[in-house]
Order: sequence, then C-alpha cells, then structure tokens
Amino acid sequence: MTDATVPHPWQAAAEALLLVAVVLAGVLAVAVVFGLPGQRAATLFCVNLCAVLAIQVFSGTSGVVSFGHTAFMLVGAYVSAWVTMPATMLGRSLPELPGWMGGYELPGSLGLLLAAVVGAALALGSGLAIARLSGASGAIATLGFLIIVYTVMAAAQHLTGGNRAFWGIPRTTDLWIAAAAAAGFLLVARLFRDGRTGLMLRAARDNEPAARALGIDPGRMRLRAWVLSGALAAMAGALYGHMLGAFTPRDFYFDLVFGLVAMMIVGGMGTVTGAVGGTALVMALQEGLQRLEGGVTLGPVSLPALFGLPTVGVSLAMLAVLLFRPAGLFGRRELPFPLPRRRAPPPPAPVSGAGGARLVIDRLGKQFAGLVALQDVSATIPAGRITGLIGPNGAGKSTLVNAVTGLGAATSGRITMGSSDLTHATPERVARAGIARSFQNIRLFGGLSVEENVAVPALARGLPAAVARATAARELAHVGLASDAARPAAALAYGARRRLEIARALAAAPVFLLLDEPAAGMNPEETADLATRLRDLPADRGIGIVLIDHDLGFVMGLCNHVIVLNRGQLIAEGTPAEVQGHPGVIEAYLGTRASGVARATMTEAEHSIATGEMQHG
Amino acid sequence: MDRYCRRAGALALAVTAATATGALAQDYVIGVAVANSGGLAPFSQPAYDGFKFCVDEMNASGGIAGKHPIRLEVRDTRSEISEAVKFAQEFVDIGVNFIVAPPDGDPTMAMGQITSPAQIPTMTFAGTAPILTSVGEYVFGSYPADNQQAAVLGAYAAELGYKTAFLLKSPDAAYTQFGPAYFGTVFEANGGQVVGEASFTMNQPDFSAIVTTIQALNPPPDVIMTSAWEPDFPAFIKALRGAGVTIPVMGADVLDTPTVRGLGEVVEGVVHTSGGYPDPGSAHAEFNARFEAATGKVADTNYVVNGCDILGMIDAAVQAAGTTDAAAVGQALAALPETEGIMSSYTFAGTDRMPMRSVVLARIEGGEKVIIRREMADPATMPAP
Repeated sequence: MTDATVPHPWQAAAEALLLVAVVLAGVLAVAVVFGLPGQRAATLFCVNLCAVLAIQVFSGTSGVVSFGHTAFMLVGAYVSAWVTMPATMLGRSLPELPGWMGGYELPGSLGLLLAAVVGAALALGSGLAIARLSGASGAIATLGFLIIVYTVMAAAQHLTGGNRAFWGIPRTTDLWIAAAAAAGFLLVARLFRDGRTGLMLRAARDNEPAARALGIDPGRMRLRAWVLSGALAAMAGALYGHMLGAFTPRDFYFDLVFGLVAMMIVGGMGTVTGAVGGTALVMALQEGLQRLEGGVTLGPVSLPALFGLPTVGVSLAMLAVLLFRPAGLFGRRELPFPLPRRRAPPPPAPVSGAGGARLVIDRLGKQFAGLVALQDVSATIPAGRITGLIGPNGAGKSTLVNAVTGLGAATSGRITMGSSDLTHATPERVARAGIARSFQNIRLFGGLSVEENVAVPALARGLPAAVARATAARELAHVGLASDAARPAAALAYGARRRLEIARALAAAPVFLLLDEPAAGMNPEETADLATRLRDLPADRGIGIVLIDHDLGFVMGLCNHVIVLNRGQLIAEGTPAEVQGHPGVIEAYLGTRASGVARATMTEAEHSIATGEMQHG
Repeated sequence: MDRYCRRAGALALAVTAATATGALAQDYVIGVAVANSGGLAPFSQPAYDGFKFCVDEMNASGGIAGKHPIRLEVRDTRSEISEAVKFAQEFVDIGVNFIVAPPDGDPTMAMGQITSPAQIPTMTFAGTAPILTSVGEYVFGSYPADNQQAAVLGAYAAELGYKTAFLLKSPDAAYTQFGPAYFGTVFEANGGQVVGEASFTMNQPDFSAIVTTIQALNPPPDVIMTSAWEPDFPAFIKALRGAGVTIPVMGADVLDTPTVRGLGEVVEGVVHTSGGYPDPGSAHAEFNARFEAATGKVADTNYVVNGCDILGMIDAAVQAAGTTDAAAVGQALAALPETEGIMSSYTFAGTDRMPMRSVVLARIEGGEKVIIRREMADPATMPAP
C-alpha cells in the first residue's frame, strides 16, 4: 500500500497543453506552406474544431450523440452579429430588427461573450428536459431541439431575415483569433473531460445504474455538460458567423450538424484527441473531394463531374469507421504526455465507527405484476459485522438488494437506516445515505481506467481530486489491484473485475456494503483471497457487509449472521450453525421429497450446507 | 491508427497540393460556384451545362479573347449560403480572374461582399433580384432583373384587362418576396389594384390554407401573380386548380422549366416571363441544336443558353479591357455598351450592373412554351430596387 502511486496532479493539464501545441503547430504549418489558401483552410479548421469540441464536451462525456448543438451555433451567430454590426449596415441587412437589439458595434470579444451567455441560458432552459434523457432518447431529443430552434429562427423574419441571406457581418474571425479560440476550447474540453463532472458523467455513460448506486445523479451531470457545451457552441457559432460574413438559419441546419458529428465520430467521440483528428481528416477529405466533384483530368484519364461527392465521401467514411473501428480512428486514449506518477499521499482514514448504525427492513414486499418476489421480509442488519443472505435461485435475494439500494422500489413495507426512510429513495440518495453495493452482473465503467473507476465514488462524495485519487489508491491496494491502476478497467481479468467493483464500493465510504455474489466465477484461490480481504473490514472500518453468494462455504466461513430467503419469504436467520441446522433451510435446498431423508441424515446435510456442495434451487 | 493517419494525411496533402496551386501564367481562371445540389439545382445545373459547353468550345479556339485558355475551379455550394461564402474566400485566396455565382440573389450577394472588395468581378448564373448588385461595384447580374420582368408582366396584365390581382410571396428569398411586389407596383401604376396577398414558406407542402384565402375573396381577383419556384409552384398550382379555382396565374422566369411545363392541365394557360425564346433560325435555336448534338442533352430552359451568354459577357469584357486583370475586366464589363448575345443582346453601360435585356412573355400551352411577345422594359416604368 505504501508503494501505491497516483497520476501527476498536472497530468491532464500537460496532456491538454501538448494537444494545443500539436494543433497550433499543424495550423501554423498549413498556413505557412500553403499560403492564403492554407490560411483559409486553417481558419476554417480552427472554427470547425471549436464547434466539434463543443459537441464533444457533451456527447463525448455523456454518450448521447447530439444533433442539436448547431442550434446554439445559430443563436450565437445571430446574437454576436446583431451587437457587433454598425447600425447602418444592420438596418440595410435586417431592416425590421428592433433597434435596441443591435447595431452597437461592440468588439468581437464582447459579441462572443454575449453569445456564450445566451447559449448557456438557452441550454439551461432546454437542458431541464433534454438532460433527463440518455441514449437514443437523448439523441432524438437533441434533434427535436434543433428543429424547434431552426423553425423559430427561420420564422422570426424580422430578427433573422428568414432564409434570406443576412449579410454585412464583420468578418473578424481571422486565423489568429480562430487559433486562439481553438486553443482555449481545447483546454476547456480536455480539462472538463478529466475533471470532476466529466469523470462522473463518463462513469454514468458507461454504466448508469452503477453510477447512480455510487451517488452520482446522471441527469444533473448531463445538465452541467449541456450548459457548458451550449455556451461553447454558441461561441463557435459566433466565430463561424464572423468568418462567413453572411448566412441564413438554414446554414446551421442538417448539413452543418451532419458534418460536425461526422468529424467527431470519425476521430472518436470519447476523446478530445479524437475530435482534433476527426476534424482534420474529414476536412481534408471534404477539401479533396470538393476539387474532384466538378470533374478532373489526370493525364489521359478524365473523371466526370459528380456533384455532392464530398457529402457522399464523408458519409462513407463515417460508415466505415462505425463498422470497423467504432471507437473512432484515434481510439479511446488521449494523446499521452508521460509525466511520472507520484507516490500516493496518505489518504484520509477510512470512515469507521459507524457504531450502532442499523439497516432495518420492515415487512418488505415486492411484486412484479402477479408474481410475489418478496413477502413481508423483515430483518435488522447492524453495522460492524458480515451478514449472509442466502437462498436458492429465485429466492428473492437480488430483489431485496435492489429494493434496499433503490434500483427496484418495494411495493410495501419500509426500509430505514437510523432516522432516514429509504423505502422509496433514489439509488443516488441511498448511496449518499451510506449504502454501497456490487452487482451480480459486473457493472464497471469500462471506458475508464481502473483507478478512475475507484476515484469516481470518492469524487461523488465531494472529496477533492487529490484526496479522491489517494483514496482510490488505498482501496485498490486493499483489493490487490494497485499495480493495475492505470490499465483500462475493461482489460482486467474476470476475478480482478470483481475485486475492482468491491474497491469502487469501498471508496464510497459506505456504512453498509451489499455484495451481490462477489465470488461468482472465481476459482478457489481467488475466493479464499477475497475472503481474507473482506474478513477484517467490519472491524477495521465499522461497516456492515451484506454478502450474497451461492458459494455457501464462502458465506458460512465469513458471516457472523445469516438470513435465508426462499420464495420471497424469510425462512430462517441466525448464526451459520443455527441456520445450517434449520429444517426449513434443508427443505428449501433439497426439496420436500428429499427432506424426509435429509432429516434422517441431518449431519450430512449440515455438512453440505457448510461446505457449499449443495445444488441450489 | 498510425497507418490510417499517415495515409489520410498523405492523401490530404497530395490533393491539396495538386489542386490549390495558383493560376498558371497563361490561364484565365474562373471560379464557378454552382448550386448543383440542393434547392437551386434545377436552375444551376442547366446554367452550368451551358457555361461549360461554351468554355470547352472557346478553349478549342484558343480560350478567352482567343489567347487565354480557360481553367475552371468548380465548387458545389449545395445551395447553402455558408458554402458559397467559403468558396468566395477560396476563390479570392487562389486569385481567380472571374467568379460565377449561384443562380440566386442571396448567395450572390453573400459572395459579392467578399469578392467585390477584392475587385474580382462576380456574376450570378441567373439571380435576378436587382438589389444583388448593391453589395459591391464588382457584382453583376446576367439575366433580366426582376423589376425589368415586372415592368413587362405588370403592364401586360393590365393590357389583358385585369383589374385586380392577388400576390403570393415568400420572404425566404429576395426573388420570391420582391418579384410580386414589383409586379404589384407596375400593375397599380397601370390602373390595376392589388386586392390581397399571402405568404408561404419555401418547401411548404400544403397550400390549402392559401387557396382557401383566395377562394374567400369576393369578388375573386382577376389574376394571381407569384415568383414561387419548384417545388412550391407545382404544389400551389395543383392545390389551386384542385380546389376548382380557375383564376389566371402569372409567374416569373423560374417557371421556364420542363418540370413546370410537364405539370399538365393545371398549368395550362399560365403566363410567365422569360429571358428568351429560340425562334426558328435564331442564334438561340442554333445554339440549342449545337448543344444537344454535342452533349445529348436538350436545352429545354433558357438557363442553358444564358450560361453560354455569361461566358460571352466575360469574353467581351476581357477584350474591351485588353487585359485579364480582374479589376480592369470588372470595370470594362460595367461599361459594356449593347452587345450581341445568343439569348438576347445585353447592355451594362448606364445600369447598376444588372444588364438591360429583352424580356419574353410566354404562355404554357399543351405542355409547351409559346411566345407571346418579346420587349425591352422601359426604365421609366421599372420599380426601384
């Protein structure tokens, strides 16, 4: 544990700066080598990159592909144009625009700032609904958002000119401004990704139920990302508008969003590096194909005109990436900067002394349509000991754990911890109350590293980043995964994944830890090792562990107290010795017909329960 | 990943290097911003076909002014303003000699605000909004302007004895907004009265509400005038005739397409303006035959021949300037006196760079375009842009 290391505190910043340096060097090289056309291409690249990064801030961290960000760009472009144009020019271009709305000839920087404010406000208003949705629902919602904003802006002809060109906008976005903006956007996007909200949102992206069970509110995290990305997109729109000098609302509609999303997906949606690479590659493809679409003669070969070729080419490129490299051409890793890892600082002492905390389950019932999964189950589980929860398959063990942790609300009864009534609490509220869990089917955050998986719950409970990293290092050491800290979680072997889930739950500093089949799939050596690591936790940290497992030997060897469920009802509880002699338990495991024989050979049955050799169900 | 990156980067550099280089010394480089996909494609495609056909012909005889081979830099704007603007900047950066813009006023104005300060003459393929030249001194029209067409059509409507008119506009384009307004001005100046108007959104699928509005007029108007184009005009005329409304309809030069003429009974008798008509034995008819023989395509709209006339205007300006210098050619073009074209003659001198050209009045009969007459608008009766 003393050898545990954590990433350098400047790691993310160093990688962000490296990316900025690479981008600026590339931009400068293109501008110098290709002269004016190169400057134009480099400027457009920087503006496109800003827009793609704005989308990536939301989509890359939330996993929701946004088709709505060009709506922010549209609004940002008009807002900035209104306030930066001279009144006379604005009067010619938009004669019906109310005078107070524009013509102030503000500097471009103030136009950008105002666009950001309006974009953030629009994002906050729309995000209250959109951020509640994830996956395909969220993507469709963003599309609806774009359609609404576009329709309103195109219909507001006195404000926008409708679909007639709004021209005369100061063309202030030159290469240097665009490059500076791209550098700023890169820093913001990269630091946001590895920051508190970005990390928690990426965890929810990878596995929302697990994130919620660690106290993360995915909707709130998505809202934060949506607002930040909305502000950034509005600024990108303003930059775009001041680069073009003329546009209509239609210029921010499907064609633009398709191009930007293609850039993000081709490079890799999950990383800032992917956004940079995708933007460069798709733009190179577009620029190249634009020169071919009017027909070209290469020596003896003449290619006919094929207008629309760039759109077709980009579509095919995106399709190919989705088919053959779904994570994007640049994968899931950011451009690395090899700063040395630091020795982990002393983490805060584990939360202990939960003392007399008790988890009280009172006449709990749960029905799925006509099926009774739990019926009047009552139990009191104290902190400071390991309580086993056993029963044949279908007994209701996982249903009980889900009800306690808020993932499947009970239909009757109460669940309390101290003065807190958790009966109908959300998973995140249960987590904040001090109950953590692992899952029967492993639910890791596959896109995060091992140490990020464990740092997430520490961040979720408000610990500073450095302390969260140190806490993660401590818990990883506790489960024997310290040397795997920097590896992707998805790369771990099965048994190690089980242990990682336990470390992650421990980093939440729970009062009660509910482990749902933690030894499932482990070999005997791994199971014994896990038992060793769990055995002292109640005494060391004062926490209560509820252990569900089909390996009865593992359960009986670890638990001070065992609860037995069968067909949704609590049929026995007591010490392992008391339970294994209980006739109801024998019957539950061996069946009614066999129970008569079993009673006659109780000693053998007891031995079977104790050693876990019995067949379940 | 590295392999992908290397290949993509190499391809990008090769393509860029091969195509983004500046003009060769002897070449006359024309940047052509077509709109061959998107909403303007029905007008851009034939215009570009005619232009390209004549470029090839001219190159075969030595090029512009007989001595400068023409090289085209062709980009498709997809009918988007933003793309047009980007290409305008690209054309300026690579130093083209002349620019041809999409066949609509809005993208032409958007491009012109960039190309005109760079003193590169920029001519629209077929944009007719007379305000399009207001963005700069190097922006040019090529087709009879909306107010020229309105001066002819409005007077003709009054001549037919129509007393009242209904105008159908769309604020989505200067053409669809101001064309009917110019018509109304001329019509009222000739004793008519505009008794109502309605507004539509481009690509609006349902015109039943507008048709109901027209049906509710009592007495009904004598004529309906619109500058709607495809697909809005077909949708409107079908809804109108489908509702049993037989009020005569007049339109602008955008109705001069085979698609509109092919709509059948619903467009029978529709009167519209046009830039020309291929009278038998005329240069226009001879061009159409030559074009069809060479390309296999029928020149069934005037945008084809106008594309060729645009090249003729450039050639005349270069010869008048005695140089290929962009600014000098632009100034020479603005001062061109009446010059013979294929579709019709054109005069830039004394105009605000929207050429004076004769306007054809045509009627659709049996799916064919039938000429009513050809006349030059009287500047005194043309509404101000």
